Amino acid sequence: MSSADRSIHIHDAWCVFEHVSGRRVEALRGVSLDIPPGQFVCIVGRSGHGKSTLLRALGGLNPLSAGEIRAAGEVVQGPAAERGMVFQDDTVFPWMRVRANVEFGLKAKGMAADERGRLADRWLEQVGLDEFADSWPRELSGGMRKRVALATVFATGADILLMDEPFGSLDYVTRLSLHGLLLDLWRRTGHTIVFVTHDVEEALILADRILVMKDGGVADDIPVGLARPRDEEVRALPEAVEIIRTIIHHLGLESAATDEPPPVQPRVDEP
Amino acid sequence: MNGLARLAAWARERWISIAALAVILGAWEVAGHLSPTSALRQSPIVPPWEFVFGPSLLGMSDYWTFNFWAPRPAAGGAQTYLGAVLAIVYHSALTLWRLALGLVVGTLLGVGLGLAFSWSHVLRRLVSSPLHILRMFPLLAMVPLFQFWFGANTTGAVTFVAYGVGVVYFAATINAVSNVPNRYIEFARTLGASRLRIYLTVILPAIVPELSASVLLTLGLAWSTVIGAEYIGLESGMGRIIIFAQYFSNTGRMTLATLLIIVYAGVSFLLFRRLAARMLSWMPPTAFTETARVVPSASIKS
Repeated sequence: MSSADRSIHIHDAWCVFEHVSGRRVEALRGVSLDIPPGQFVCIVGRSGHGKSTLLRALGGLNPLSAGEIRAAGEVVQGPAAERGMVFQDDTVFPWMRVRANVEFGLKAKGMAADERGRLADRWLEQVGLDEFADSWPRELSGGMRKRVALATVFATGADILLMDEPFGSLDYVTRLSLHGLLLDLWRRTGHTIVFVTHDVEEALILADRILVMKDGGVADDIPVGLARPRDEEVRALPEAVEIIRTIIHHLGLESAATDEPPPVQPRVDEP
Repeated sequence: MNGLARLAAWARERWISIAALAVILGAWEVAGHLSPTSALRQSPIVPPWEFVFGPSLLGMSDYWTFNFWAPRPAAGGAQTYLGAVLAIVYHSALTLWRLALGLVVGTLLGVGLGLAFSWSHVLRRLVSSPLHILRMFPLLAMVPLFQFWFGANTTGAVTFVAYGVGVVYFAATINAVSNVPNRYIEFARTLGASRLRIYLTVILPAIVPELSASVLLTLGLAWSTVIGAEYIGLESGMGRIIIFAQYFSNTGRMTLATLLIIVYAGVSFLLFRRLAARMLSWMPPTAFTETARVVPSASIKS
């Protein structure tokens, strides 16, 4: 596992899509940002304001129109195993058993089978699924499949974790237990995590720092000094209430009338 | 459960299907006795079952073309049931061999070319309109052309089956690849997988469920094409037997050969279902896999 530079530097990142209809969408408008190594950053914002676009650009799935992103010391030019992604959709491969899923990235690296198996078993134990190594994904619940995805990304050795509303489709209790697991893994690995969510409470439980995105830019950058460990009652603390108030102000309940359809995430082809 | 009880349970479960089949067979028998007889060879227009499995079955020995194991009627020998069975086995084996070879070659070529052309957008666009035209071709009308090009022999028949099957798989593969959810491909890319690895370990397994629908289609198609090829030019095979029988208005033999083909096709469907169930064991159960039924109130408290 390389312990390279885990920081992220985004400089004047623009991402402009032009749809077939001719409609232009400026999904990112000159975002500049520095994320120090090991920080847990949550990005909040309403749908269609650039959260996912920024995360996908970090992951190398959306090329930038202009500007530059440096992650782990290198300019991002495409996806790489150093930047692991966890999506909201279920991405666990249903045609592979759980262990084979966790080994997928290691196999791509060319790691030997026995070493691969050991590492996969270790990470499955870390996420509490050691008994399910030989199961098919269809035999697991949605929350368990999220654990498989986490084990896969951690086992692959990503230093930077990019998570796009990963727990958005899970029930409340499952989500809380996955918050605990993620924070635990984060503490032990020291990875940098960028976590997109529309759930302010989730951001308060997880983040060192909350970025509020609006109209393709960062509207606010809020440090979260709340003591850890935190739980779902964190939102009642005065400091948290203040943060929630600030975020709601930025998201602008009063401007809800100007609701725009979110830009369709285009399928970007490989060159 | 012992064998007899299991058979009884199976019959209870399927009695509607069994009854329907019995009615059809019975109606055929009745029609056989009511319909007039062909003046030419005293063969009934609708042959009753005792005729099909009597004189017609015996007559199959006419197609035994070797001088050993059983007398050869074409050379003045007697018609024998042994010769009939040998003839059926021989011609069935030839037809099945052509069918299997054509299926395998057509499947491999169709899926392989489909994957290759899915690799880039330019290639996919290149084939999209020729492919539509290709699918419009009247398949059976092309038998003579194929026999002219590849010969009125097994090679010609295999090529023809492979062509019919391959076109279906080619189109299905291109379609299935474009239906693979993008999220799997993106996840694989962020895990550092190369394009070739994604093709082999993500796209290929992901298209199997959609392709398995084409397998049923192509199995039926393969039977039509191989029989079609044998109708027109070949000197052997089940299709040839049917055509010879038709020359002499021999309805009994036509019926018998058709029945055999139905049995073979049925068995090949069953075998495929087994294979598919094994290959797709990772799939969640579909609407067609019966996993549970509602227990009626009478049998809850027992």
